[in-house]
Amino acid sequence: MFKARRIILAALVSCHGLAAYAAGPRAEVMHWWTSGGESAAVKKFADAYKAAGGVWVDTAIAGSEQARSVAINRIVGGNPPTAAQFNTTKQFLDIIEQGLLNNVDAVALKEGWDKFLPETILNVIRIKGHYYAAPVNIHMPTWIWYSKAAFKKAGIAGEPKSMDELFAALDKLKAAGLISLAHGGQSWQENIVFTAVLANQGGKDLYLKILRDRDPAAINSEAFKKVLLSFKRLQSYVDAGSPGRNWNDATALLITGKAGVQIMGDWAKGEFSQANQAPGKDYGCIAGFGANSPYIIQGDAFVFPKTTNTEAIKAQLLLASVVTQPAIQVEFSNKKGSIPIRTDVDSSKMDLCAQEGLRIMKDKSRQIGNGETFLNPDQNGSLADILTAYWNRNIPVEKVQKDIAAALRN
Amino acid sequence: MRAKLRLLRLLRLLRLLRLLRRKSMPYAALLPMALIVLVGYLGTVLWSLKVSMSSSRTFPAHDFVGLTQYARLFGNERWLQSLENLALYGVLFIVACLVIGFLLAVFIDQKVAGEGVLRTVFLYPYAMSFVATGLVWQWLLNPGNGIQQAVRLWGYADFEFDWIVDQDKVMYTIVIATVWQASGLVMAILLAGLRGIDEEIWKAARIDGIPTWRVYLSIVLPMLGPSVGTAFVLLFTAVVKLFDSVVAMTQGGPGIASEVPAKFIMDHLFGRANIALASAGSIMLLLTVTILVAPFMYARSRAAHRKASQ
Amino acid sequence: MNATVTRARRNTRLDPARIGIYAFLVSAAAFFLLPLYIMLVTSVKPMDEIRLGNIFALPLSFTMEPWQTAWSSACTGVDCEGIRGGFWNSLAIVAPSTVLSILIGALNGYALSFWRARGAGLLFGILMMGAFIPVQVMIYPLVQILAALHLFSSLPGIILIHVIFGMPVMTLLFRNYYASIPEELFKAARIDGGGFFRIFLQLMLPMSTPIIIVAAIMQVTGIWNDYILGLVFAGRENLPMTVQLNNVINTTTGVRLYNVNMAATILTSLVPLSIYLVSGRWFVRGIAAGAVKG
Repeated sequence: MFKARRIILAALVSCHGLAAYAAGPRAEVMHWWTSGGESAAVKKFADAYKAAGGVWVDTAIAGSEQARSVAINRIVGGNPPTAAQFNTTKQFLDIIEQGLLNNVDAVALKEGWDKFLPETILNVIRIKGHYYAAPVNIHMPTWIWYSKAAFKKAGIAGEPKSMDELFAALDKLKAAGLISLAHGGQSWQENIVFTAVLANQGGKDLYLKILRDRDPAAINSEAFKKVLLSFKRLQSYVDAGSPGRNWNDATALLITGKAGVQIMGDWAKGEFSQANQAPGKDYGCIAGFGANSPYIIQGDAFVFPKTTNTEAIKAQLLLASVVTQPAIQVEFSNKKGSIPIRTDVDSSKMDLCAQEGLRIMKDKSRQIGNGETFLNPDQNGSLADILTAYWNRNIPVEKVQKDIAAALRN
Repeated sequence: MRAKLRLLRLLRLLRLLRLLRRKSMPYAALLPMALIVLVGYLGTVLWSLKVSMSSSRTFPAHDFVGLTQYARLFGNERWLQSLENLALYGVLFIVACLVIGFLLAVFIDQKVAGEGVLRTVFLYPYAMSFVATGLVWQWLLNPGNGIQQAVRLWGYADFEFDWIVDQDKVMYTIVIATVWQASGLVMAILLAGLRGIDEEIWKAARIDGIPTWRVYLSIVLPMLGPSVGTAFVLLFTAVVKLFDSVVAMTQGGPGIASEVPAKFIMDHLFGRANIALASAGSIMLLLTVTILVAPFMYARSRAAHRKASQ
Repeated sequence: MNATVTRARRNTRLDPARIGIYAFLVSAAAFFLLPLYIMLVTSVKPMDEIRLGNIFALPLSFTMEPWQTAWSSACTGVDCEGIRGGFWNSLAIVAPSTVLSILIGALNGYALSFWRARGAGLLFGILMMGAFIPVQVMIYPLVQILAALHLFSSLPGIILIHVIFGMPVMTLLFRNYYASIPEELFKAARIDGGGFFRIFLQLMLPMSTPIIIVAAIMQVTGIWNDYILGLVFAGRENLPMTVQLNNVINTTTGVRLYNVNMAATILTSLVPLSIYLVSGRWFVRGIAAGAVKG
C-alpha cells in the first residue's frame, strides 16, 4: 500500500515535471460528448492531457445512458476503459460499493479538492473518505431563458423577478399571440421545470426536505402543494405541439421570436450561439428569483475503473489532475456551456450568463445539489414518472403528493 | 495464427463427426443450435428469473426477496399502462402490416413496370435508422409544423390531425410510423412466397375462368400459409420488443400515454439501475407471450406429427 | 415456357383494373416516400431555415455542405471525421455474420423440417421464445459468457453474437420455407441414397434462393443497422459505422444539426438499400418451382 502510494506520487511528479521520456501514460476515456460544442470542449481536455505527457484515446458514445451502460458492461467483461464519464450523482455509487473503481486520493489530497469543490459534489464523489471521481464541470439545469424580441413584442418592460412576475409575463406573451412557454414535452424536461419551481418558489429548505430528506410531512405540506400547483399552472402556457418535442426545438422557438420563455439548463446557450445570438442582447438568462435563490448543481465527472496495472493507474491519476486545473476548467466550460467546478478562476473570458453563475456560486449558502445527487436513479425515475403524468393529465394534486411520498419512501 | 489453429481444430472435429454413424448427422447439425439455445437463451432466461427475485440494482445481487419485484411491477401505473398500450398496438400493427404487405406483394406481382424501384421504395424505410426517421415522423405529426399545418395552409382551416399530442390517440401514430417501416419487409417475404407458387396453378385457374381475386383469396393465400406464419411471428416479436420508435417519436409521452413494456424494462435496466425490476418485467413479458403462443405452437406440432405419421 | 406466359400477360391493355393497380401502387409509394422527401429537403437546407419549422418547404438556399460534413467532418467525439470511420468495420462484421447466420439457419430449418430429430421441436420452441426477449436484457449475461470464452471485445465475438441473435428468425424463415416443399421430393432423394449433407447442399440450398434473398435482406439490414450489440461486444477497434452515426445524430444536451443528421442517416442506409435494389433479379418467379421439377 505504502509502496503503491510512492509509485503514484512519483508518477505524478514525473508527469508534471519531466515527462520527456517515452510515450506517457495512456488513457482510454469514455464519454458522451459528441455534438459540435461538446466535441470542442472535450478536445480541450485531450489537448491538455497530451501537453501533460499523456496519450488520450477517445471512446465517444452518444447518449448518457448508453455510454454508462457500455462502461459498466466493459467493467463486467474485464476490459474497462481507463476512465468513464458519469454524471456527478449517485449513478456510480453501486460501482463503488462493488469495489470496481479506483480512487484518486493521491491527486485529491495533494491538490486540496476539499478546499475548492462545492460540498454537494464532494458528497457524491467522496465515499468513506476516498475520492472516486474527478468532477469536470457544473451545469445549472433550471435557467430561465427569454427572448428579448418576444418580450418587446408583448410589451414586457423588465426581467421578471419573482414567480408572480413570471406568470404576469407569461400572460402578456399569451395575450400578444405568442407561445408563452416554449417547452419540450419529454419527461426529463418536465422534471427540470418542476425543479425550477421547487427551488424558486419553495426555497432551499423545502427543496432539501423533499429531495434530500424525503420527508413525508413536507411532501404533504401546504407549501409543497402550492409548488405542484404552480408547476401545473405553467403547463397552461405551452403550445399544442409541445409534447414529445426536443429541447432544442423549443429553444429554436425563442431564437425565432415565436416564444417567450424556456426553462432549461445552461447547455441551451450552445443552441443560441449556433444561431449567432448573444446573451444580454438577443436573449436573457435568469438563474433564479431573488438574492437567495438556490443555484442547482448538476455536472459530469470521470470515474476510474479498477485496475492494478501501474501504467493505467498513472494514467488515471494524471487525468484526474489535468481536468481539474483552473485554466483548463475555464477553457472546457466555455466550449461546453457549463461553469467550472471551482470559483478561483479567471472569469473574464466567460459569457454573461456563466459569469452570473460563477458569481452566485461564490456564495456557498446558495449551492444546492440536483435531485439525482440525493435520490438514487430508481427513485428519481419514479418521481419523473409521476411528474410527467401530472403535467399531462388532470390528476388531483393531493393524489400527486401521496404518489410522490410513496415513490420516495423506499 | 490462433484463428488458424482454431480452424484446424474445427476441421478435425468435423472429420470426426463424419466418422460417426449417418443417423446421428441431424443431431450433429443441430448441435450449434442446441448449444445456443441452452446456454444463450435458456441460460439467460434462468439468469433473469434469478435476478428478478433478488434486490439487484446496477449489478446482480445474490439475495432472495421472493416476488417483491413482481408486486412492485403490478402496483406500477406505468407498467400497467404499458401493457394496455402494447395490446392495442400489437393488434393494429400486425393486422395493418399483414394486410398492407399482402396487398403490396400482390399488386407488385402483376407484372408492373418498375417493379425493382417500387420494391425498393416499399422496403427503404426498413433500411434506415429510426433515430432519424422517427424524428421526421415526429415533425410530420406535430400539429404546429406537420401535416395538419400543411393541409390548413391549403385552405382547409379546420383540418385536425394532432394525434401525437393527444393522450388517447398517440399510440395510433406509433402504429402509422412503424407500419410504414415494417410493411415493406412483409411484402418481401410474401413476394418470395408468391414467386414460389407454381405457374401451373395460375394456368389452371385461368382455364377454369376463376376471377383473379378469388384465386388469390381461396387458392394462393392458403398456399402462402408458411410465409404468412413467418411474417406474423416476425411482427409479433417486433411488437413485444417495441422500443426504438417510441423513444424516437414520443419518449413515452405525452405523460405516460405511449409507454411500452420494453421501454420500461430498458429504463430500469440502464438509467434507473434497477436490473431486478427490469428482469421481472422481461420475465412477465415472456410469460405473457408463452401463454399466448404455446397453445398455437402445440396445435401446430400435433398437426405436423399427424402429417408425418400419415 | 415461362417466357411466353410473361409476354402474354405483359400485352394486357390498360383496362380499369390495370389503372387501379397503378393507382394503388403510386399512392402507396407516395405515402412511403413522404418521410424520405422531408429527409432530403432537410439535408440540403442550412440550419437557419430548418429552425423556421417549414418542413415541407424546398430550400431557399441550397447547400450540399451537410452531406460533406456528415461523411467526413462531423464531430463524433474528440475526432471530427464524420461517419466514414466505421465503414470497413461494418463490412467486416456484416459479411461473415450474414453468411454464417444464414447457413446455420438454413441447416437448422432443413434438419427440423425433414429429419425430425428427437427433442428438436422443443429446442426450436425455446429458441422461438428467445426471439421475444428484448436484446438488452440478454447483454449482461452474454458479456460474462463471452468474457469467459475470451471472445469479449473482438471480431469473432461480435460475429458469434449476431449468429446467436439471428438464429431464431433465420431458423424460422427456413423451417417454414422448407415446410412448403413437398415431402415426396425429400423421400425420393433419400431413396436415391442421398445423405444428410448431400441432400442439403445439392437439393435444398439450390432451391432456396428466394428465401435466402429474404434472409440476406433481413440480416444485412439488421446487422448493418445494429448499434447496441456492436457497441458492447465488438471492442474499440471494430466499432461499426452506426456508432459514429449515433454519435453524429444522437445527443441529450448538445446542439443538433438536423441537416447533417439526415444526410448521415441516408448515407449509412446506402449499403442495405443497394442490397434491396440488387436483390431484384432473384425475386423471379419459378426458381423454386423449376428446381422442384428439375
